[in-house]
Amino acid sequence: MRPALSALLLGLLTGPLTAAPPLTFERDIRPIFKAHCLECHGETKELKGELDLRLRRFLVSGGDSGAAIVPGDPAASALLKRVSTGEMPPGKESRKLTPAQLDLIRRWIATGAVTAGPEPKTLARGFQFTDGDRSYWAFQPIRRATPPTVKTLAEIRNPLDQFTQARLETIGHTLGGPAAKSTLLRRATFDLLGLPPTPIQRTRFLADTTPGAWERLIDRLLASPHYGERWGRHWLDAAGYADSEGVASVDPQRKWAWQYRDWVVNSHNDDLGWNRFLLAQLAGDEMVKPPYKDLSPGDLQLLTATGYLRTAPDGTVGSNDAANRNQVVAETINIVSTSILGLTVGCAQCHNHRYDPIPQVDYYRLRAIFEPALNVARWKRPGGRLVSLYTDADRKEAARIEKEAKVIDGERGRKQATYIQQTFDKEVAKLAAAQRELARLARKTDAKKRTPAQKDLLKKHPSLNVSAGSLYLYDQKAANDLKAISKRASDLRATKPQETFVRVLAEQSGPVPVTRVFFRGDITQPRQPVDPSGLSILGVTTREPVTLAQNNKQIGSTGRRLTWARRLTGGTHPLVARVIVNRSWMHHFGRGLVATPGDIGSLGLRPTHPQLLDWLADEFMRTGWSLKRLHRLVMTSATYRQSASAPGPLLVTDPDNDLLGRMSIRRLDAESLRDAILAVSGSLNPRRYGPPVPIMADRVGQWVIGKENLNAGRPGAVVDMSNEQYRRSVWIEVRRSRPLGVLDTFDRPAMVPNCTERVSTTVSSQSLMMMNSDFVVSQSTRFAERLKAEAGPKTIDRIHHAWQLVYGSEPTAAEIGEATAFLDEQTALFNGPVPKADDKKKKLARSRDQALSVFCQALFSSSRFLYVD
Amino acid sequence: MQQSITGEHDRRHFLTTGSLGLGSLATAWLLDQDRAQAAPIRPELVKTHYDTLPKPPVSPPRANAMISLWMQGGPSHIDLFDPKPEMAKWHMKPFPGKVKYDNAAQASSKVLHSPWKFRPRGDCGTEISQLLPHTADIVDDICLIRSMRTGVNNHGQSILALQTGRILKGRPSLGSWLSYGLGTETDNLPSFLALIDPGQLPVEGVANWSNGWLPAIYQGTVIRPREPRILNLQPPAQLAGKVQRSFLDYVGRLNTRHLAQRATEHDLAARIASYRLAERMQMSAHAALDISGESKATQEMYGIHDKATADYGTRCLIARRLVERGVRFIQVYTQNQFWDHHGGIKKSLPRACRKVDKPSAALVRDLKQRGLLDSTVVHWGGEMGRLPVIQNEKNIGRDHNTHGFSMWVAGGGFARGLAYGQTDDFGHKSVENVVNHYDYHATLMYLFGIDANTLTYTRNTREKTILDGQPGRIVRELLDV
Repeated sequence: MRPALSALLLGLLTGPLTAAPPLTFERDIRPIFKAHCLECHGETKELKGELDLRLRRFLVSGGDSGAAIVPGDPAASALLKRVSTGEMPPGKESRKLTPAQLDLIRRWIATGAVTAGPEPKTLARGFQFTDGDRSYWAFQPIRRATPPTVKTLAEIRNPLDQFTQARLETIGHTLGGPAAKSTLLRRATFDLLGLPPTPIQRTRFLADTTPGAWERLIDRLLASPHYGERWGRHWLDAAGYADSEGVASVDPQRKWAWQYRDWVVNSHNDDLGWNRFLLAQLAGDEMVKPPYKDLSPGDLQLLTATGYLRTAPDGTVGSNDAANRNQVVAETINIVSTSILGLTVGCAQCHNHRYDPIPQVDYYRLRAIFEPALNVARWKRPGGRLVSLYTDADRKEAARIEKEAKVIDGERGRKQATYIQQTFDKEVAKLAAAQRELARLARKTDAKKRTPAQKDLLKKHPSLNVSAGSLYLYDQKAANDLKAISKRASDLRATKPQETFVRVLAEQSGPVPVTRVFFRGDITQPRQPVDPSGLSILGVTTREPVTLAQNNKQIGSTGRRLTWARRLTGGTHPLVARVIVNRSWMHHFGRGLVATPGDIGSLGLRPTHPQLLDWLADEFMRTGWSLKRLHRLVMTSATYRQSASAPGPLLVTDPDNDLLGRMSIRRLDAESLRDAILAVSGSLNPRRYGPPVPIMADRVGQWVIGKENLNAGRPGAVVDMSNEQYRRSVWIEVRRSRPLGVLDTFDRPAMVPNCTERVSTTVSSQSLMMMNSDFVVSQSTRFAERLKAEAGPKTIDRIHHAWQLVYGSEPTAAEIGEATAFLDEQTALFNGPVPKADDKKKKLARSRDQALSVFCQALFSSSRFLYVD
Repeated sequence: MQQSITGEHDRRHFLTTGSLGLGSLATAWLLDQDRAQAAPIRPELVKTHYDTLPKPPVSPPRANAMISLWMQGGPSHIDLFDPKPEMAKWHMKPFPGKVKYDNAAQASSKVLHSPWKFRPRGDCGTEISQLLPHTADIVDDICLIRSMRTGVNNHGQSILALQTGRILKGRPSLGSWLSYGLGTETDNLPSFLALIDPGQLPVEGVANWSNGWLPAIYQGTVIRPREPRILNLQPPAQLAGKVQRSFLDYVGRLNTRHLAQRATEHDLAARIASYRLAERMQMSAHAALDISGESKATQEMYGIHDKATADYGTRCLIARRLVERGVRFIQVYTQNQFWDHHGGIKKSLPRACRKVDKPSAALVRDLKQRGLLDSTVVHWGGEMGRLPVIQNEKNIGRDHNTHGFSMWVAGGGFARGLAYGQTDDFGHKSVENVVNHYDYHATLMYLFGIDANTLTYTRNTREKTILDGQPGRIVRELLDV
């Protein structure tokens, strides 16, 4: 981070550097103590050495060993000595104070150990919120700020722009002008659909020169079913969606997880209000009357939505022990808190949060909301969480077929017994005549009752131990016959009505579990019981209730999640709307107004435009929590429509674009890149929904798209995918242990357990993939075929068409010249020395085709394709 | 050599395994190194950052690299390393003890005395079978363990025991542990590489080089058995050479013009650089895997010119070149069930030996002559040995035996010219100085300067080790003092 940026974010200065402000206890020193010392010195029941470090005056009065500090005299301050020598805090090296922290404390003492204001007269023992905690921005109620007045109105298109313009004006700049129409088209299309604009979309938009053309474009894009595939994927990151349990190398599949994925995509396309979207995911089950049978479509959706609380990696599919169960609960809390609350509540699992005002007990109060459904005492393993969508009629039909199949099973059993007996008889016949009767008798006799002679005989002739499992080793024909009968039974069973399922989180009937604080997070040391509640700091800052009723007699469950979810989505919660608005902003601009969307707590970064964030959050809630309206609001602003270029001085003053004086350039994310290549080459299969397109290991152990066809554990013949391999990336299996090469290389995250912010890297493995991979090379060839078919034989037409498809623009004369020269150069390289006259023409044609493929690949590999500006 | 390699590239851009098979690893590993530089400094609440930077061992190490020559299927120890003259008396007679068969239908209780001759070799006088003449020639440099035991009679489970410490799937393999504990000495190559056979993957497949629950940067990376040994590293044939040069020039021109209009975008500049570096990598990574510059004498020593040994010899030679460049752990595999001689052992065992004997011995000799053997462990062995009795009298073979079998180790602090431990008179069970898989792991870790009990990884709040609570003993008698 550049120093200028960090200074801005800390809010220390907005203009030229001024003299450093004096060090104060509240701002500079207490956070160090909170992170390193207060666990033993003030925030928990025990007070080591009777020394409380929560207030400056406690430091002066000191504990058992006398005063901790002597203001103005670092050398005489016992505390400084203890921490400098590393005596305190005890334990791991990583917990010790850094030289910079020691220096801060030293200078603070030397400058008189001042406080920012008067300290409270009284302070109860244990965890207490400080003034800093109470005034932290993210915990304050959302207040709609009046858009600031600005000096220049030229670029202002909606109130959002007033916020950005006002900030820019403080440093003598203004919003930049709009980008070219074709740039805007490409930006908006990738933004909302994750795909490049098609030539038809382009023609339509460019031809529309009447006012409102841009708004109409955005409406068209928002109406596209591809919108849900793009924005649904964003939420699936935050929710930690995966098609596998994510444990061990086996990583078992979650066969029905896709129902939740489809629901997320659909909900985005339907623009389900974000409040209802969250409500369904957190408590859909509590809104459906059990038993979950013959479900209405609405009820089915509510149950499917609870798949959100079933995304955590789940070790109980293997070892169903207490540790694994508790791990699932902990990961689920992590997912909920980072995706919805934007806080790392999970850090308070073992001790009070070291940075945010979240006492350990709050963590367990939050856990109490989920524990009746994630009940570690009466755990449901993955298989037990499925709700069948079978109707009673389906069940009846299935039973009828099963009865018939059982008859075939019986036939098989009788035949098997006969075959085994026959085989045994043959083996007996190989023995000396005298031994045969003994062998038969031994076989009939229970193993424990055999005589020594019988045992000895069987041991000497192990081949006498023929069994159902080993029959095939003796008599392949018999084994084949049995196999055929089995097949008849399984074929018949296959005609049963297909039973489908949804993965559901729901409370079980029976006693409601008591949630207890685990001492130091250790599940073997449960301590005091706690009641369900939201974060207690919010009760202080919003004056809204945070505690929840233990039980709701009206419905068939405790109602804890439902009540909590209603509070989250009731319009007064300070975190929920800020977090989703911020995350949407990140997807539009490449970075959130708070650059750490999974942590808006004190370890995260501060918002660059706090008032804008609040204004947007308020507007979002007022307009029905509609994500599509939010997109329209943001994208019709002048801020969004800016060009990516900016005047030189602004680039120098604001190199990271914190002040939004231009559009940031963004690299395509993994899915967009793959999908865009497929779209441009003409390969994209637009089929949506349903079971995921599978991932398999190829013969060298690389993860590729394909149906696993193992033969004795090794890859067998390749199964035809009938264009399934060309579906959009969101429909491809997310098997946590099987990252697909092309997505993985471009930073598709691993879901462990979820991802609130993707990284975008620039590494040479990506270059190697663009240069040499089978995927890119073969798609380039398909793209070349498309150009030939659609643009005809003339090079210039092909170049024009290629530019439209790849960049969404027309080539300049210079670009045409360069492209033509490149195609000629490549054609000559492929053509080689002049061939014999008769096949000269044929070879030249082939060389031109090859050159066209390489040209297509070059366009795919170019920054202009890989980035959006 | 190593200096010039590490010196010439920016750390951000080196050979990546994203372009190798098993994409995740490589990319994760690469990204991690990138992120290590890019990430802003924030207080660490939970350890989330892992890297492959070199880390000092806790005690002075004897070894800093390892090559494991993995003989999948279970070489017959009683025909190769563990002579049993007593068995001659029992030849074709019923075995006088208890045997656990894997395949009862073909089982016979008749003892099969080894059809191959043993004689004392080298100054140490250790007896080695006539099937391994080259190994016999290096017997004074190796440490033969004749008392191995895992005690689980299936390939998969016994492989997992030896590779990961436990018979259950999902744990990190030895190479992952060493990469986690010690990092790597090279920025140009991953720390852990698996050189697979042109045939099918060994039993357990990718689990053999899995990072298990360790971070993915510690996963082994597959080097393919033939060119292209690294996926995406080389262009398809029709694009190679001038075509790709011209392609990269054109992409460079497109990207430079694109950048010119966005001059302050560092990422775009880095993108251009990444193509240039990718192109250079194509040559440098290729160089590490290209043995054509090796002298004729060296190539001949590894058997490169003989069809029978060419593949395995090439891979052994590549393994040496990788060790020279600072790679921590390398596995050189034989194909799926190559040594699983349930039948036809009289022909198939000599054939298997021919493939690996000369290259394996050459590797030890070559490392020694280059002064690398002292710091490099070479391991030769599979997941089991064979039974003393016949399986399938019509086409004689031997069934599985994990209760007693042999393997050898050399270099990196292991004793030279030692034969350690004993099986019973039939080679069925280890009876003296038994070395369990966990003893072997504890000993290896010790040579790398690591205490196998204290190299831990916290998972689900529990500290995990490779030994996983098993009483691993550092077998000091195996060490060179």
